[in-house]
Amino acid sequence: MDIRRKFFAWSAIGCATGIGFLSQAVAEISDDDFNALKQQVQELSDKVQKLEQTHEQDQLTHQQDQVKIQQLQQQLGKTEEKAVDAQQEAKAAAQMQKRVQRQQKQVSETQKTTAEGKGAAATQVQPVASVPEGPLALHNFAIVGDAEVQFGKTYGSHSAFTLADFAPIFLFRANDNILFEAGFDIRLANGAVTLANGKTGNSGTTTSIDLSFATLDYLLNDYATIVAGDMLLPLGTYSERSAGWLNKIPDDPLPRSVLPATGLGAQLRGGIPIGHNGQELTYSLYVANGPGSVDGTGKATFTDSTGAVLPNLDFGNVGIQSNGNTGNEHASPGGGGRIGWFFPWKPHYDIELGISGQTGPWDASGNHLWSAAVFDAALHISPYFELNGEYINTWWDTADRGALNPRGWWIQGGYKLAGLNLNFPLINNLELVSRYDQVYDGLGSRTRRETVGYVYYLTNTLWFEGDYEFFQSKGPSLVPSGKWVFQLSYGF
Amino acid sequence: MKFGNLPKLFKLRVLACIGPLVVAVSIVTLRSPPVVYAGPELTPEKPLENTSRSGADLYATHCSRCHPERFATEFTSTQWKTIMLHMRVRANLTAEDANEILKYLQENSGK
Repeated sequence: MDIRRKFFAWSAIGCATGIGFLSQAVAEISDDDFNALKQQVQELSDKVQKLEQTHEQDQLTHQQDQVKIQQLQQQLGKTEEKAVDAQQEAKAAAQMQKRVQRQQKQVSETQKTTAEGKGAAATQVQPVASVPEGPLALHNFAIVGDAEVQFGKTYGSHSAFTLADFAPIFLFRANDNILFEAGFDIRLANGAVTLANGKTGNSGTTTSIDLSFATLDYLLNDYATIVAGDMLLPLGTYSERSAGWLNKIPDDPLPRSVLPATGLGAQLRGGIPIGHNGQELTYSLYVANGPGSVDGTGKATFTDSTGAVLPNLDFGNVGIQSNGNTGNEHASPGGGGRIGWFFPWKPHYDIELGISGQTGPWDASGNHLWSAAVFDAALHISPYFELNGEYINTWWDTADRGALNPRGWWIQGGYKLAGLNLNFPLINNLELVSRYDQVYDGLGSRTRRETVGYVYYLTNTLWFEGDYEFFQSKGPSLVPSGKWVFQLSYGF
Repeated sequence: MKFGNLPKLFKLRVLACIGPLVVAVSIVTLRSPPVVYAGPELTPEKPLENTSRSGADLYATHCSRCHPERFATEFTSTQWKTIMLHMRVRANLTAEDANEILKYLQENSGK
């Protein structure tokens, strides 16, 4: 015990001594040393400040360099475009030069002939004045479009190839702000003849050429474009973006039949970015002839020469008849528009919502209005899944049946099986599609349809589509209960 | 339990540990003066906002909404210029997006 006590006592003494020496060591730092140390710290702080200022200047210079690089890249792009145009112009100039040389040669030969007096007729040849030549006529010309062949079988009738359609779109760019575009629909169909019993028979074939649209587009600025001519109407999005080859189901949604697809008039449209995350506000405002009356009256139906009672509303109202008469059987043009919101949160992931409408008189007296409202929506989740649809409501004021309300809606989904990540090409090229649609024509007939089908992508532009459509209908205009459709589509 | 009731040996062990600890803390404190930062006040880093997207991203975003994407090599640079004018009007694309997509298509075009 004594040894332990001594040990701890000596330890305590050692600690006290250590603390004493430390206090002495602290006391040995003089004011001069402290001030010198403080000055060193201050000098170091100043150096750090200078370095930071230099760094900030470097960053600023770097940003300015980046902006200059972007400007130079843009100038380079423009220069490349000008080079292409210059090549075209040089080519045209070379052709012009050759032509002038030929003409000069002809002139000199003619003068020579005249001088030699070999034939009086030669003296009558006059040189053609040279005219400056522009770029090649087809320089800014392009053709896109689609073609389809369809095979189908409707319940209760024979199967047949039912459609051969060629739909080119001609584009001519006059300059960077002016575009003329026209789409045609060239179809082959059986010639129809009316038999003695009043029924319709087939006789030979006829080719129909329809002008789907033809407009002159003038880009006013980054946010506004004027479109004039026969326009695809922005009532919903189906007419502009989904018709023909673009749609994955061959037949149009049923409720599109209560809307006009095109209209003759003028339009102001464009897209405005919202913020910096890709959101856009799109708009279209237009005036167009709008629907007219077949017989000019405000009655809901008319009777044709065969005694058939048909709707009196005419969507193909272009203001002039095929016999040259003014056939504008409505009081004045109507107006409409669409506003849409598009939000892509990343590529292939986006949502779009839109509301559109149109209104105007449809009869010759101008006492009855036809109006429409359409809500449209589209959703893309991944490159493989999409969902879109429209709700359509129209108000058709008539003289004999009051206000009619043709309406309907449709929803369509598609899923590309490539999303399953199966390493099997036949599966990867397949997309399953389905649609539900229904329409009420306002005259007592209601039709519902469920469609299931597929799209097989032979290439990105060549598709083989097929579907089966289940119908349910009530009212005076009944439709068959089922239909097969197969279609080969090509977009170019 | 009060400290005075503990065994003396335990008290001495505690004191023996505290002594060197106090010495060590004193030494460390003397040899490590507090660091003085004399520069400007630092601002916290903000996440960068995505202010620009590539032409390829915009092409995937806009074009595949309505149709399968066309290969850039299917048309020439001049044809793409005409076609993009058509698509800008048809799809109500903003001028900025249309120009970026056109640039991407022309850079990869069939020349």
